[in-house]
Amino acid sequence: MFIDRSMTREVITVSPETGILAAQSLMARNGIRHLPVIDEDGILVGVVTDRDIRSAMPSTVLSEAEKAAEQRRLEAMKVKDIMTVNPVTVSPTQTLEDALLLMQKVKVGAFPVVDQEGKLQGIISVRDLMRAFVNVLGLEEPGTLLGIVVENKIGQMKRIVDAITETGVSFGSILVSRVWEEGKRAVFPYLLTNNISKVKNHLREKGFTLLDPMEWYLDRVPKRKAEKE
Amino acid sequence: MRRTGLLYDERFTHHKTGPEHPEAPERLTALICGLADAGLLAKLIPIPATAARLEWIEKVHSPEYIHSFREACTLELNALGCADNQICPQSYETALLAVGGILNAVDMLMEGKIDNVFCAVRPPGHHAERREALGFCFFNNVAIAARYLQIRWEVVRVGIIDFDVHHGNGTQHIFEDDPNVFYYSIHEHPSFSYPGTGREFEKGSGAGMGMTLNSTILPGQGDDEYRRKITRDLVPAFDEFRPQVIIVSAGFDAHSADDMSYIKLSTEGFSWVMGTVFQMADQHAGGRLVSVLEGGYSLEVLPELISNHVQILLDL
Repeated sequence: MFIDRSMTREVITVSPETGILAAQSLMARNGIRHLPVIDEDGILVGVVTDRDIRSAMPSTVLSEAEKAAEQRRLEAMKVKDIMTVNPVTVSPTQTLEDALLLMQKVKVGAFPVVDQEGKLQGIISVRDLMRAFVNVLGLEEPGTLLGIVVENKIGQMKRIVDAITETGVSFGSILVSRVWEEGKRAVFPYLLTNNISKVKNHLREKGFTLLDPMEWYLDRVPKRKAEKE
Repeated sequence: MRRTGLLYDERFTHHKTGPEHPEAPERLTALICGLADAGLLAKLIPIPATAARLEWIEKVHSPEYIHSFREACTLELNALGCADNQICPQSYETALLAVGGILNAVDMLMEGKIDNVFCAVRPPGHHAERREALGFCFFNNVAIAARYLQIRWEVVRVGIIDFDVHHGNGTQHIFEDDPNVFYYSIHEHPSFSYPGTGREFEKGSGAGMGMTLNSTILPGQGDDEYRRKITRDLVPAFDEFRPQVIIVSAGFDAHSADDMSYIKLSTEGFSWVMGTVFQMADQHAGGRLVSVLEGGYSLEVLPELISNHVQILLDL
């Protein structure tokens, strides 16, 4: 799952000399928030975001005379004056997991993808990652999710897969929630069937504990910690 | 008392789904016994089942799909597509009879020979897509009836109300860009239930934008939430849309005794839902209401639920 398989290749870019008002309307027209800034050789020199531009905008409580002066100042401003010069980048051969973990770490919504020479190859954004995860979750195939709680020890997944396979139902995906309670894991098989009561009965007969759907919990962060923040 | 039709044919039980399949022929025998025990059978006007002409099935399904269904039965395969959709050699003929019977019911309704009708058919239909069998469904009975009303009877505005506990993905997709068919569904929230569609932000597309409406119910909820969401969502939407005929995808699997979902609608809750639909039909559609059986798998409660449903149609 390399980034170059999921990234957007047709990147909308600007040059350092582009005016910030032009950059702003370019983003608005295309519904995007990140513009890689490249030089004439296609080398990435920075990134400008809609947030950078909004920060450069004057406050709304100016007098008419001040507004006119501000407008002239904005018209003269260029992307190079406000861009992030050393943006965090990724390479085409890094993976989607790299991008996901890096996004969580640096709190950025998109990364320019550059090759070894620093040349821009594409951009990978939260949207691209979401598309990939909607796919692996199997959300676009008709099916039903189940929640099963098991001991956190080897062989549990096999027991679940065996039991479900005995009912002749196929899997769309299987999710595992790491933090459930001490020594437990929650397993969420997404099953491509409407005949879910048959599967549930079979699992109960095999001694599995099914979770109340109102208690399903996919997030890794323990609730206690989330409450503190 | 209304002149209420009943579509039922013993041949609807010839679609066999094999052992351990909830969508079983016994559903129909149980509900007919229930109607007989409640003394309702004699009050209903029988509607004959005849095989539908392919011309009408093709208003909804692709010829290739129809052909593949017929072939699967001829070849005695035991499922069409996913293993959910168990079939037997008689399944195709049974599905044609169900559609044909519903179209006969529509004719009698539009000719003024009946006021409303309950169609006790198998196989069910609302999951069936244009080109795909899904969730025990092969031909989308309700969608074909809506197209038939539009084309054969030149009805302009058709309202579909689907209270099966599962979202009617097929019906929604078939009409999502049609401004003249309003599809309303109330079902268990799709994160917890088959098929995973019918989220509240799905509202139609193109010219049909705003003509699809989904109300989702969380696991464990029942009567109160159904009352709240039907009153909040469906009633004002139909007041504005003013359907000339209402078709109901009547599924009975939201009942607390039915283990196909986590929803806990009570017997009285079902009567409230259908009573509200009946009033809407009177208010907007001259009482014209075609109710078509979808799911509902608890053989214990199905007879009572259907008897109550039919009593509401009879306006006893």
